[in-house]
Amino acid sequence: MDLLEYQAKELFSKVGIPILPSQPIADPRQIKKLQIPYPVVLKSQVRAGGRGKAGGIRFVENTIDAIAAAQYIFNLPILGQYPNVILAEARYNAKEEFFLAIVLDYQLKRPVLLGSAKGGVEIEPLLENIQKVVVEADFSPFYARRLVTKMGLRGKLIQSVSAIVEKMYRLFVEKDLDIIEINPLGVGVDGEVMALDGKITINSNALVRHPDLYSLQRANNNFTNDSQSLSALPSPQWLDYQDESGNIAIVCNSLGLALVTWDLIVRDGGKPRGSLVIDRATKSELLPHYYIARSLNTALEKLSEVSGIKAVLINILGNEEITGSATNAIVDYLQLLQQKAAVKQLAIEEGSLDGSDLGSEPEPLQWIIRIVGGKKDFPEATFTEMPVRWIDDLEEAVSQTISLAKIE
Amino acid sequence: MNWKPNSKIIVQGITNNLGSYYTTRMKAYGTNIVAGICPGKGGQHLFDIPIFDLVEEAIEKVGEVETTIIFVAPERSLDAALEAIAAGIKQIIIVSAGIPPLDMVRLLKKARSTGTLILGCGSSGILIPEKMWLGTIEPHFYTPGKVGLISRSHSVCAEVALALNQAQLGQSIVVTLGKQRIIGSSFEQWLEILDRDDRTEIIVAIEHPNGLISPTLADFIAKKIKKPTIAYLAGLEVPIERNYIDALSIVTTQVSYSVPAINQEQKTILALQNAGVKVAQRPSQIPKLIKNILKKN
Repeated sequence: MDLLEYQAKELFSKVGIPILPSQPIADPRQIKKLQIPYPVVLKSQVRAGGRGKAGGIRFVENTIDAIAAAQYIFNLPILGQYPNVILAEARYNAKEEFFLAIVLDYQLKRPVLLGSAKGGVEIEPLLENIQKVVVEADFSPFYARRLVTKMGLRGKLIQSVSAIVEKMYRLFVEKDLDIIEINPLGVGVDGEVMALDGKITINSNALVRHPDLYSLQRANNNFTNDSQSLSALPSPQWLDYQDESGNIAIVCNSLGLALVTWDLIVRDGGKPRGSLVIDRATKSELLPHYYIARSLNTALEKLSEVSGIKAVLINILGNEEITGSATNAIVDYLQLLQQKAAVKQLAIEEGSLDGSDLGSEPEPLQWIIRIVGGKKDFPEATFTEMPVRWIDDLEEAVSQTISLAKIE
Repeated sequence: MNWKPNSKIIVQGITNNLGSYYTTRMKAYGTNIVAGICPGKGGQHLFDIPIFDLVEEAIEKVGEVETTIIFVAPERSLDAALEAIAAGIKQIIIVSAGIPPLDMVRLLKKARSTGTLILGCGSSGILIPEKMWLGTIEPHFYTPGKVGLISRSHSVCAEVALALNQAQLGQSIVVTLGKQRIIGSSFEQWLEILDRDDRTEIIVAIEHPNGLISPTLADFIAKKIKKPTIAYLAGLEVPIERNYIDALSIVTTQVSYSVPAINQEQKTILALQNAGVKVAQRPSQIPKLIKNILKKN
C-alpha cells in the first residue's frame, strides 16, 4: 500500500526527519484558516507519479490565489486520480537536492540503501548518479555513512544526511516497509536538510501488525484498487492487462495457468481480451471448495459485462473437489443463460417482445471448457441451444477456441 | 538433502483448516507425519497424529525430526520457523504465503548460520510421486519416472506433468520454491540437488516472467549442472507488469513511473540457449525435447 505524501511525512516527523510546516486540506474553504505564512506550495495528494509536470503542484502568494489554485487542483485528475486532500506547505529554497531510498533487494535478500546527489524531478541525472550500499549484516550507522560518501558528500553533510538515512532505516524495519524514499532531500543555505517530498510503500502482508497504518489504508481505500488484501474472500481478478482488440476471454484457477493459456493463444494466432484468475488460496487459509463455484460464477458474470468477447476458454486444474465444484458451477451458469434465452425466444414468438429490436443483440459466446484433474466424465447436461464444448486436451482446447473466435 | 520415505515429519499449524486438510491427505498418501504442533492443543490428536504445544516437546517424544511443514499464519511463520531451527530441525517447508519480507530476511540470515534448508515461503512443497508427499502439490497429476521438475508454483508443474505423462515420461521429484519475491532455497540449490539425485535423469526448470531464471542462472547451469536441463518460461507473451526483484530496477521503476525498457527475458533465453539449456515454447514441446535428449545419450 502506498501512503500519500502527507501521510509519509507524518511518519518522517515521528522519527525526527525534518519536514516543513504543512497542513492537509480536504476542502478549498479551509485555505482561509491556513496556519502557514505565505508564500505557500499547494500539492495534490495522489499516488500517481509525475504530478508536478501534470500541474498538481502550485505556488501561491496570498489567500485569493490559494483558493483558486486549490479549486484547480481538486478538479485536476492525475493519471485518472482526483485528490481527496491537498497538502499546503511552506516554501523552501533548496541549494541542493538529494535522492535517498531504502528497498529490499529480493535477489540479494538484503535491504539496500540508495542515494543520488542529483535528486529532484529530473530522472536521468538522478539515475546516472545513483549509488548503492547493501546492508550485509545487522544495520549500523556506518552503512549510511558509506552511502553518503559514495554519493560524493563531504564535510558536515556526511553526518546530517547519514542521520536521515539512519532514521529512514528505522522506519523501514519498524513499519515493515517495501519502499521508503525521500526525493528531494533539500539542503538549505546553512547546510540544514529537509525532506521536501517522500514516498512510503507498506508491505500489505505486514499490515495486520501495524494498526496505525491499517487505519490509513482504510482511509485511503476509496481511491485505491488494492483492497483485496484485506477483504475476507478474494474476488476473481483480471490480470493487470486487457487488450481491447482481443476477442478471447480466459478464466483460470491460478496465475500460472493463465500465463500458460495466454501464451498458447498468442502463439497459435489468437488474441486474448483478458484473463480472469480465481485463486483458491489466500495466504495461509484454505478456502472451502464451494468457494470456487461462487468465484467462478462471479467471474462469468464479470465477463458478461465485457464487450467484444467471442469465445471464452475456461481452464481449470485441480483435485476432484475443485473440478467437481467448477463443473457444477459452469453447468448452472450456462443452464441459466440458456433458460433466459429460451424465455426471450418464447416472448418473441408470442409477440410480446419485438424481435426486430434484437438486431443489436451480440452473438452468443462460444464456450470452450477444459477441466482436468477429477473424474473423466463430462457433465450430463447438454446445451442444445448454446455452443459449449468440453475438451480435455489443452492444445486442442486452445486451437478450437481460436478458430471459433475467428468465425465472423 | 534428506528426503527419505521414512524421514520423520512434523506439521506446525496442524489444526488450522489448510494444515488439517493437507495433513490428513499426506498421511493417507503414506507420508510419515509423526507429530503436529499447535500451542494450547497439546495432548489432542488429529487422525492418530499426536499434537504438542512446542516443537521441542514433540521431538522429546518422537525423536529426531528431519522436516517440518509450516502452515501457520504468515505474520507468525517467522516465529514458527525459528522455533523449529532452535529445536534442531534442518529442513523447513513454509507453505504459508505472504510472510512479511523483512521476516524472511531475518529467517534466511538465521538459516544460513545454522545450515537449515528453507523451502518457501508460499511453497507447495515437494512430491516424489507414489513415495512421499510434503505440502500441497496435488499428487494425482504426477507419475513416477526420471524427470525432475523445479518450479515456483505447482499449477504450471501440473500442466507440464500432464504433457509428460501423455508421453509416458514420469517424474522423479517435483519441487516448488514458492511464489513470493523473497524465498529461501533457490533454483541454483535445487538444480545441484537434482544433479546429484540418482532417480533424476533430466531436469525441467519452470518459471514466470522476470523471476529467478536469469542470465546469471544460465551461467550457473553451464558451469555446475551436468544433467540435461530444459527451461520453460510461462507468460512471455503476457504483457503484465513484471515484478522486479533487484533494488536498482525497483527504484528505477519507482522514480521514472515506467517500466525499464530492458528486454531481460530475451537476454535470459539467449543466455540459457548458450548454456546448452533447451528452452521449451509450450508444455507439449517438453516431452519432445526430452525424447531427443534421451536418444542422443
